[in-house]
Order: sequence, then structure tokens, then C-alpha cells
Amino acid sequence: MHGILGSPAARLSEEERKAAFARAKKAEVVERQKLPVRYHVEDFETADRPRRFLEAFAAILKHTSYRLALDHYVRVTARCARCAVACPIYETTGDPRDIPCRRSELLLSIYRRHFTLSGILRARLLGDPGLTDERIQEIADSYYDCTACRRCHFECPMGIDHGLITHLGRYTLSEIGIAPRALVVSTREQLTGRTANTSAIPLPALLDTLEFLAEDIKEEKGIAVQFPVDQEGAEYLFLPAVSDYIMEAETLKGIAAVFKATGDTWTIGSRYFDAINYGLFYSDQVLEHALRKIKEEAERLKVKKILIGECGHASRSAKYFYPAFCGGPNALPAVSILEYTHQALKEGRIRLDPKVVKEAVTYHDPCNFARPGWIVNQPRETLKAFCSGYVEMTPSGRENLCCGGGGGTVSIDEIRPYRTRVSGKIKAEQIRSTGAQYCVAPCANCKKQLRELMEDQHVDCEILGLHDLIYKAIILPPDRGSASGADDAAEGSGLNRAVTAD
Amino acid sequence: MCRERISRSRSGTVETVAFTSLRLKRRFDTEAWIEFGRGPLFRLCFALLVLGLIRILALTWAGIFDVYRHSPDKILPWKEITKKTLAWLIPVRKLWTARPVYSAISFLFHLGLILTPLFLASHNLLWQKGVGFSLPSLPQRVANILTLLVVGAALSIFFGRVLYPAARAISRAQDYLWPLLLAVPFATGYVASNPVISPRTYELMMLLHVYAGDLILVMIPFTKLAHCVLAPLSQLVTHLAWKFPAGAGDRVAETLGYAAMPTWLPQARLRARPEAPNPEQGQVIQK
Repeated sequence: MHGILGSPAARLSEEERKAAFARAKKAEVVERQKLPVRYHVEDFETADRPRRFLEAFAAILKHTSYRLALDHYVRVTARCARCAVACPIYETTGDPRDIPCRRSELLLSIYRRHFTLSGILRARLLGDPGLTDERIQEIADSYYDCTACRRCHFECPMGIDHGLITHLGRYTLSEIGIAPRALVVSTREQLTGRTANTSAIPLPALLDTLEFLAEDIKEEKGIAVQFPVDQEGAEYLFLPAVSDYIMEAETLKGIAAVFKATGDTWTIGSRYFDAINYGLFYSDQVLEHALRKIKEEAERLKVKKILIGECGHASRSAKYFYPAFCGGPNALPAVSILEYTHQALKEGRIRLDPKVVKEAVTYHDPCNFARPGWIVNQPRETLKAFCSGYVEMTPSGRENLCCGGGGGTVSIDEIRPYRTRVSGKIKAEQIRSTGAQYCVAPCANCKKQLRELMEDQHVDCEILGLHDLIYKAIILPPDRGSASGADDAAEGSGLNRAVTAD
Repeated sequence: MCRERISRSRSGTVETVAFTSLRLKRRFDTEAWIEFGRGPLFRLCFALLVLGLIRILALTWAGIFDVYRHSPDKILPWKEITKKTLAWLIPVRKLWTARPVYSAISFLFHLGLILTPLFLASHNLLWQKGVGFSLPSLPQRVANILTLLVVGAALSIFFGRVLYPAARAISRAQDYLWPLLLAVPFATGYVASNPVISPRTYELMMLLHVYAGDLILVMIPFTKLAHCVLAPLSQLVTHLAWKFPAGAGDRVAETLGYAAMPTWLPQARLRARPEAPNPEQGQVIQK
């Protein structure tokens, strides 16, 4: 049998398997929580779990629109096993429990048994006792092994979206207290904490960082570039994955440089500056509340558009769910920085020096950008405009392979062995086979995962963002003034003229 | 029952008695059963099929409209949905992307499965007789080839399922049975259309052919075969399912009795669960 890369499937060795699936928790914690999963979970009630799961499931079905898909999927599922071939995790483990269709069946069977007439009648006839605690434990384990990359959706002749089922399963679990502690703690800080962001960066620290970045650019490029904060009436409210402020200085500098070149107005909000939305991974309620915070900030600053930095899931949350939760047709449009830069490049508003980046560069498609067919060609065109050594990886584009840290799993540090040995194993081989020196991954999630992956799988390739490279190559317009304050003011008025269509 | 009839016919003529016992001895009038199978029983099965398909289609469409109505975000990628739907209805470009051998066989299987029963010349005679109109007929040779193709493909699919570990891991009993059951009317129909077989074999084949066909028709709306009408809606359903209604998350927490305790708050909400379960929950589960 041939694997995804056309070579024999890269199965796990016994050693790797042991390391990857080793439990990072103490036995007594597993015993107390009655939950043999590898990620850490906050303590919660374990008694009566099946009933509480069913109550939560029932409440979710009542208020959301999952029922349509569940009914449909239960009726049409044909069990053709094509999804197995598409799943990099099953390709790696060869464990039947990792077949997408089988993973979804864990939840679909509960739906069929407890929420459809035929299932209830059947259970009466056959004396089926119904949902057990073991099944819940199995789901808790299995649904965080999936990276929700939705690659399998393309291979399903019945159009079943296993990523949706994974999302629903995790949502239901979270309502009875089962969710990775890493995600819950971050969400808590973001939604109710003092710093209002997932990395708990206090505002003064953020301002320090911005100042430091601006100085850096001044030093490296010789041009004063600003990171505007709380500039009311700006065109774009800029929100990156907040971890970028700690880990991705180059990306942020690149973005600021692009704005310097285009002259459009943008601003960072001081009250809310985090685009991360773990709700997309495990809870609709979190998804909605995090988006509403963006809305509040956008309204406070009277911006026209929401601009999300290099981050796949944050961009997808904003693009596809902001209209649903924040005003329907009247919601502000959400744009990704990749689209913005591409557009600016096409219009000739930024210039990139093709002589700077000569190394072999490849592009990794973050699932949340590429899978819906939303951002596939834009970053490629941008890269090809100035990287002479651009190489494509296969498969790529919409059929790309997940970095292995999708679906929030990258934030769960205790499962790093699983991410780098199992879910990212084929990805590592794929990057290795391109021979590229730089792998551009314009997603905070992918960047962190791929760096860990390159390290653990010993691949010699540097992972960076699209704007890291742009920063190297961008040709900035010369400064018009000398004093930075006067310069900024002049710039501000100049920018408003540059704003064209809206 | 036999004795009762004979004793009752003592008052009648000798001929009647003899005739009755002859009929009873034969017990099974194959021809009459075939006629029943492709006459009244077929009409019943066909009616159930149509009604069953209408039911699931109506339910699905009602669901689609309901979700669309409740979603504040009405923007759907219609082009993408149409493209994906068509790509699966005519899946020539999808064959090579995963399990190519299986997919190609499955494609041929579906082709024969749809074309042959509808456009076979001898079925058209029945159509004409039963509903008063007929469809264009396939040349007999083509029909023969398609029929053999279906039987061969059905067997391959069956063995593919048995031999491929990933498929085996997700298969239910019905998944193994379906290709075999679907092959029955095709195999028997093929044998029955061969003129050199004995009348007895012909009758037996036709009997199996008609009843297997009826059984399949009546089961379509209640099993995974419903995908014959539902599959074209899958992409739309999936895209709509990602349209989450606003405020649902809060309402879920409220229904569960945790309105003031969203999942991210530090107090373990589940330790503070209310004593009496919310009466609404029972209803939801019943529903």
C-alpha cells in the first residue's frame, strides 16, 4: 500500500509508538479523573458522566444546527474507507481507531442510539444499555488525537465533514468539564482575565514590545516605522495571534513594514489585541464570546475592517464566524494579512527586492486557510514575486498535509511527543523531501508545531512566516521627515488619501 | 388444512377434490408468485420507495431551510458547493485521489446499477404495462455487459471490504451484505435472459430476480442506499452545518442550568450543579 507521499506508508516503529503515546500524567490523576487521556484536564465531577454527557448533547442539539448534519451523516455514511487514505494520522499509526470515519462513528452512534426514533426503538428491542463511561473516555482520548484538519472531507464521497464531528464531540465534552487544561486556562485569561489575552501579556509589556520592534526596524532599515495603538478611525484593526508579540518579532516587523509601504491606516487595540480563538477548537460558546470581544474593540476604535495576522485558525474564526456572531450582513469584513499584502503587491503599492532571498523556499498551507480554498494562491504569488528558489511541496494547496498541531493540539505541551512523532511525522518527511532551507508557514500554530517537529525529527529547515521574508526583501519608501513625531503626523494625512475603495 | 379441504369437498364432485389436491401437492405456483412480485408487490414496493424518498428529502430540505433561516450569516459559497457536488456526482476526477482501484470499480458499479434497471428493454415493457410510459431502451448487448460489470464489481467490492483492513475496521453487517444483495437481481436477471436454460431454471431465476429487486427497492429509503437521493445535498448540508446560530452557546449553558458559569470560569461548575435537574432537559432527550 502506498502512503500519502507516494512512498510506502511511514508507519511508526515500536519505540516511537511507546514514546508518542506515553502518558504525561501521574497514575493517581488518571485514577481520580477516570480519564486515561494524555492531555491535562482540570478536576471535575466524574460521577454520572454518561447522563451529563447526554444532557449536554441534548442541550446542544436543541440550540444549535448540528442536527441537520448528524441526521444526514447517519443516513448516508457508506463506510468506504477512502478517508483512511487521506488521514496522515492513520497513515502513520495504522490503528483502526484513527480512521476518520470510525472516529466520527463514536459520536454518531450515540446520536443514533439516543436521539433518533429508530435508534431508541432498536435499543428497546435489543436491550442496549446506552452510553457508557468507557465510551466517553474513548471519545475524550480520540477526539484530541484528531487535528481537525479536515483533509478527509475531500475524499468522502458522501461529503461527511469529520472535522465538524470532532468539533461537536469536543464541544459536548467541554460542557461536562473535559477539555485540555492548556486551552481552558488560556481562554479563561482571554475572556475574564485582567490581561484579556491568551498569553497573559499585560498592556505595558505589549507597548514595550512595540516600541522595541519599532526601534529594531529603525536600526535595521533606517526608517521610522510605527506600530499605532488606539488610533481611532483607522481603516484596519490589527489582531495577530497574541503569541506573535512574544515569539514572532520578524513577522510583526514585516507587517509594520508593509503598512509603512502601502500607507494604509491600521491600529492595534489596547483593550483587546488577541485574535486567538480556541473556541473554534472546542466550544461554540467560547468562539462566540471571543469574537464579540473583537467586535467591542472594533466599535470602540471605529475601524472599517478587521485584519487578522499570520494565524490560520484566528483568520478562519474571524472570516467565517464573525458575521454569524457579530451582526450578520452588517458585520465588519474580516481580512487576513496574507490577502492584504497580496493585494498591495498586485496593485504595486509594495516593492520587494528579488535579490535578497536566494535560498530554496517552500510554502506550507495552514489548514484553516487552504481547506476552504480561501487563501491558497495569494501567498504563493507573493512568494514567487521575490523568492527565486521557490519550491512546491506535494501534496499542497487545498490537499496539503496538516502540520500535526492543528485543532488546538499545538498548545498542549504535554502531548508534544504525539505531535512530533505521530501527527506530524509525514509532514516532516514531506518538508525534508523538498530540500528547502526556509519553510514559510504563515500561522502561529503551524510555526510552533513545525519548529518542534523539525527539532524532534532532525530536519534541517528554518520555519518562518511570510512577512519574515517580506521584511528581508521589502524596499521601504525613504523617510520624508527626520523627527519621528512630525513624520507620523505627515504620514497619517498622507495615508488617508491612499485609502481608495471600500 | 389439507385434510379440512378434502373433507369439506366430500359433498362436492370428485373432480374438484382431485384438482385441489393436485394444486396443493404442487404447493408453490412459481409463475403466479412471479406475477405477484412484479405486479402488485412491485407497485407496493415502488410506492414505499417513492414515499420513503420523499420523506427523507422533505426532512432534509426542511432542515436546510430551518438552519438557513436561523443563521445570521447567509453568505454561502454557492459556487464551491455546486462544484463539489458535481465533482461527486460525476466523480471521474476523484477516482485517483484515494483507493484508486476500489474507486474505479465502485464507479462502474454505480453506473451499471443506475443504468441497467432503468433502461433495460424488458423492464421497459413492464414500465409500459405498469405505468403507461417507457424510457429509451439500452441495446441488449450493452445491457448484458453492464449487468456482468455490476456482478463483477459487486463481488470485487465485497472482497475489497473483506480484505482491506481499514474498510474492515469500519464495516457493519449491512456493509458486507449490500453488494451481495445488489448483485442478486443482476446475476439472476442475466441468467434468466439467456434463452437456452430450462423453463424451471428460468422460473427460479425470475423469482429470485423479482423478489430481490422488490426487497432492495423497499429498503432504499431506510438504509445507507438513501444516499442515491441524499448525496447531492451533502455538500450543502455540510457547509450549512458550520453556520452556527448566534447565542446558541449561551443558551446551551442556560439550558444545562449553568447560565452564570461558562465553561472557562475557574469554579468547577460541575461541582456546583443544581440539585433538581432542569425539567426542560428531559424533554429534549425524549425528542
